[in-house]
Amino acid sequence: MAAPAELRTPLPVSRVLWRGTRRMLAPVAGAGGFAKVMLLVGAGITAFFVLVALLAPVISPYAFDQYSSGGHRFAQLAAPSSGHPMGTTVQSTDVLARVIWGTQTELKVVVVSLAFALAVGVPLGLVSGYFSGPLDRALVLLMDALYAFPYLLLAIVIAFLLSNSIGKGVLTAAIAISGAYIPLYFRVVRNHVISLREEPYVEAARALGARPFTVIRRYVFYNVVQNVPPIATLNAADAILTLAALGFLGYGIQPTEAAEWGYDIQRAVSDAASGIWWTGLFPGLAIVLLVTGLTLLGEGLNETINPVLRRRAVAKFELPAVPPSADIVEP
Amino acid sequence: MSPRWRTWRLAGIAAAAALLAAAATSAALARSGGTRTSSASDTLVDGTTDSVTNIDPANEYDYGTFTLDLLIFQGLYGFPHSSKLEPVLATGCKTKGTAATWVCTLRRNVKFSDGTPMTSADVKWSFDRVVKIKGDQGIYALLSNLKSVSTNGPYSVTFHLKSPQSTWPFILATNAGYVVPKSLYPADKIRDNSQSQVGSGPYELVKYTPGQQAVFKANPNFWGPKPKTENLIINYYSKSSTMKLALQRGEIDMAFRDFTPTELTSLKTASGITVHSGNGVVIRYLVFNPTRPPTNNIAVRKAIAYLFPRQTIASRVYHGFVQPLYSMVPAGLPGHIDAFKTVYGASPSVAKARAVLKAAGVKTPVAIDIWWTPSHYGDASADEYAEIQRALNSSGLFKVTLKSAEWAQYSASPGKRYNAFQLGWFPDYPDAEDYIVPFYQPDNFMANGYNDPKMTALIKKEYAATSTPARLGVIKQAQMLAAKDVPIIPYWQGKMVAVSRNNVHGIDSTLDAAFNMRFWLLSKS
Amino acid sequence: MAGQGTSLRVYLITRIALVLPMVFILLTFVFLLMRVAPGDPISASLGGHVPQPVINQIKHQLGFDKPLYVQYGNYLWDILRGNFGSTITDRRPVSDIILTNGAATLELTFFAMIVAVVVGVLVGLVAGRYRDTPLDVGGRLFGIVVYATPVFFLGLMAQLLFGSTLGWLPTSDRASPITQATLQTHTNIFTLDAIIDGNWGDLGDVVLHLILPATTLGLVTAGVFIRLIRVNVIRTLRDDYIEAARARGIGERAVVYRHAFKNALVPVITVVGLTTAGLLGGAVLTETTFNWPGIGHELVLYLENRDYTAVQGIIVVFGLVVVAVSVIIDFVNAFIDPRIRY
Repeated sequence: MAAPAELRTPLPVSRVLWRGTRRMLAPVAGAGGFAKVMLLVGAGITAFFVLVALLAPVISPYAFDQYSSGGHRFAQLAAPSSGHPMGTTVQSTDVLARVIWGTQTELKVVVVSLAFALAVGVPLGLVSGYFSGPLDRALVLLMDALYAFPYLLLAIVIAFLLSNSIGKGVLTAAIAISGAYIPLYFRVVRNHVISLREEPYVEAARALGARPFTVIRRYVFYNVVQNVPPIATLNAADAILTLAALGFLGYGIQPTEAAEWGYDIQRAVSDAASGIWWTGLFPGLAIVLLVTGLTLLGEGLNETINPVLRRRAVAKFELPAVPPSADIVEP
Repeated sequence: MSPRWRTWRLAGIAAAAALLAAAATSAALARSGGTRTSSASDTLVDGTTDSVTNIDPANEYDYGTFTLDLLIFQGLYGFPHSSKLEPVLATGCKTKGTAATWVCTLRRNVKFSDGTPMTSADVKWSFDRVVKIKGDQGIYALLSNLKSVSTNGPYSVTFHLKSPQSTWPFILATNAGYVVPKSLYPADKIRDNSQSQVGSGPYELVKYTPGQQAVFKANPNFWGPKPKTENLIINYYSKSSTMKLALQRGEIDMAFRDFTPTELTSLKTASGITVHSGNGVVIRYLVFNPTRPPTNNIAVRKAIAYLFPRQTIASRVYHGFVQPLYSMVPAGLPGHIDAFKTVYGASPSVAKARAVLKAAGVKTPVAIDIWWTPSHYGDASADEYAEIQRALNSSGLFKVTLKSAEWAQYSASPGKRYNAFQLGWFPDYPDAEDYIVPFYQPDNFMANGYNDPKMTALIKKEYAATSTPARLGVIKQAQMLAAKDVPIIPYWQGKMVAVSRNNVHGIDSTLDAAFNMRFWLLSKS
Repeated sequence: MAGQGTSLRVYLITRIALVLPMVFILLTFVFLLMRVAPGDPISASLGGHVPQPVINQIKHQLGFDKPLYVQYGNYLWDILRGNFGSTITDRRPVSDIILTNGAATLELTFFAMIVAVVVGVLVGLVAGRYRDTPLDVGGRLFGIVVYATPVFFLGLMAQLLFGSTLGWLPTSDRASPITQATLQTHTNIFTLDAIIDGNWGDLGDVVLHLILPATTLGLVTAGVFIRLIRVNVIRTLRDDYIEAARARGIGERAVVYRHAFKNALVPVITVVGLTTAGLLGGAVLTETTFNWPGIGHELVLYLENRDYTAVQGIIVVFGLVVVAVSVIIDFVNAFIDPRIRY
């Protein structure tokens, strides 16, 4: 028996994406309570940082490694003043400029690492969960072994390996960080796929003769992928903390290539012990603020999309007034 | 609520209160117990960011282990009072015939800390085992000129060298020459850190916790004057900022190696603390590979030498704790001359750099990669190389790209992979020879490919020199040739810095070119 | 519906049997990573003042120029015999590192987890119970912000405030230098050792030194717990049996305290177990900031020096600990909830 026409002709990609996105974001519109506030505040903070990153060349007073202006060298480790609102560093660079340019670095690393982790973890999880068998077992073992590895150390070792071939740049840091999250996506996606596999509508599609990849693409993928945005934002938040940790331990980005908050804090540790607070406080606050924003966004998404936690904004329903004459039942 | 729940709550509150009370009382006890604080005047507590590898002197070649070993071991020669080389376990050494045979008379009545007497058998044993074990830290390389050791009675030792070396007593003063008791140290293996370490030095090592602490007590069997402080503790830190806070809180009495320049400047004005500095012999230098472009063109190397911002680095980056260096041989050592100042001038000159590049027909700006390493030489390396890049770029003649790699990747034969790179050096022994020979021979440890037959001949001449003035004369010639060939640009010489609380005395007397921290001369009031 | 109804014994055996391949993969992974990473331990310690021929000779002596499969075979054979070797840089037996530094990390982790659980559970329970009130909002924000603060930043601020400005607490190490020199170590867990000897002055000193690092690490971990517990409390409060209890007329307080909270805490045990195992290796940042001689810190130091034996040994032992903990937790969960078996 041939499959109905609808199942045979593929829809254009743009329509698929639009439908999928609308489906995914539907719960947001209907959410209520603090979840919505968190979502909006988180989105706002994240959007603010994205804007700062995009407009860095325009709004930053100086380049991230600029140490003089108009032939005049900046003072070294100068306290915040009108000329340098956040003070200067030990290399006579402006802290505000480094915080602004650092936003670009952080977001670049986060986006690349997310993309990489998703591109590897999600398809592997889909395939592994749907097809099972020996491939699945092997992958699960491999991922579990990776999971047992302390994530920061995994990131450090990957950074070592890559820095020899592609240098200590954004790409190296991003791949190093994503390596620790691939097992997480794999696990989440695989577990969800396994439970979805047994759903009646999926069984029905298979019975109707749909090929495996069609089934995955149409029925499984959208359901599973709904899990991803909250995890992805929390993943992004973690990625920033990991990048800062790598920078703090000295395995992060080459300081002459870009400004990075973790590296700045590492240099600031010795300043702080000497009473110089501005070189560390501002990058530190930037990290806290951005990670908080991303986490609020993630939590907000989680609350609105996850049906267990969802609280619908229920409109008050007024029962129509019953006319006084109609309710008495005559004996 | 249910009665059971109420009881649980009350129990919880009671437990929390008890814990708090216990913590408070013990804190009070800790504070009041006089013997628990580091203010006891018979114990000196020193902090350091150096680390220790193997305490057994046959297999250590790093400054952190050297500082520890100096307290418990001794050699035939040493620097017990100043940077002047003096006999320690020997009473004197003389050449016999040529400088390829050295006969040393040993001091009598020397006992190791376990009470056993030291004789020539122990001395021969110690040298033989270094050569036999060939420890993986590489210290045996210092004895490469030693053919054999023979004894002549219990108090005389003869060293037979492969070729004459007038500076042999300096080698006897290095870690490779420490004397250990034959009865305890195996001939063919290292004595592990977990076992007791016995030597003839002023202190004995009582307890060693790797990465944390080394505890010493005055050696009861020491043949020389008793150390001024009975007990010594060296505390190991991984970050200098934690060490600084500990020093300011009085948890440690002093700190030797290494604070960042910012921390040192802040400590200079901290109350109750003194920063001591004296002439040092640690140097920093930039190495070129003269066989590959762009550094194979001597005009490029000369131009960099003309532009080098020594004063900016010394003042802005290191706040005066290093001084500009104009020769591989540091100031303060006999034979030093300011060769680079003579050839290139004392301050950077853009005009001269431009002229030399123009004369050689080099197109500017010259693109060049300069490598440095972030943590091995201190955090300030980043600032140092930023200044070098700024100076070279702002002249318009160069376009410098800075690159860095972690020490473990960076350090093996860097000259093979990099064209211009940072290195530092602390000497095996404080003599000009140790600043020329390791760097300017064809198979040097940097593997930068430098090979000038004139220089190789000069080094041979230096070894063969029979009188000190002759030797120093050759050394001066070597320095001038090094400046003209410019395969290496030396740029700063570090001061020897130690920071202490105001009640520690004697540090200033131990800061000299020998670069030994003589803890046994320090006291607390 | 595969696996439903398998017995507990079969599950346990299957689970343990799976540990072996996992450990094997971990061992191989670590071995390859260390060999593939650029640099080697000999160059790391000798480069910069020793000529290349000497370095090559030493590498040959130590067998580093043997073919990779030979080195791998020796490595596996040693591990099978329980010999984790000694470090290359300072010849310390790896087992000694695990025992002494591992004990230090264990002590720190234990007290940090106490702080994390107390703060996390309290705030999480309150936030979940009073959902959408200022208490909830405040609790959640606290959890989020505390988790967003890098632990080294928080530690630095704490050191400066309590150690430097106020001068109340020590800022580094496990004990004052003299205490550390004189304390008798039996277990290497200083608090235990001081109690065993009845040494109250030393105990006070050690406890003082624990306060800043344990609280810093504990607070950051509490951030995670708050979210987790809160979600679980909310989820539990919506469950049918809670509705049933309410319908039966049981007071809200009893419903919350007796039924909801206890059940909400069950999955938390899993997370606490896994987090503890993770902290054992991952407390690197706290240990570096406070100069705490823990195993994560040692691992990073040996990694910097490419000390193969040290890194391999520590990571393998750590991996085994995590695997053991997760097997135990899976077993406990399977015992409680029959649905989770294979």
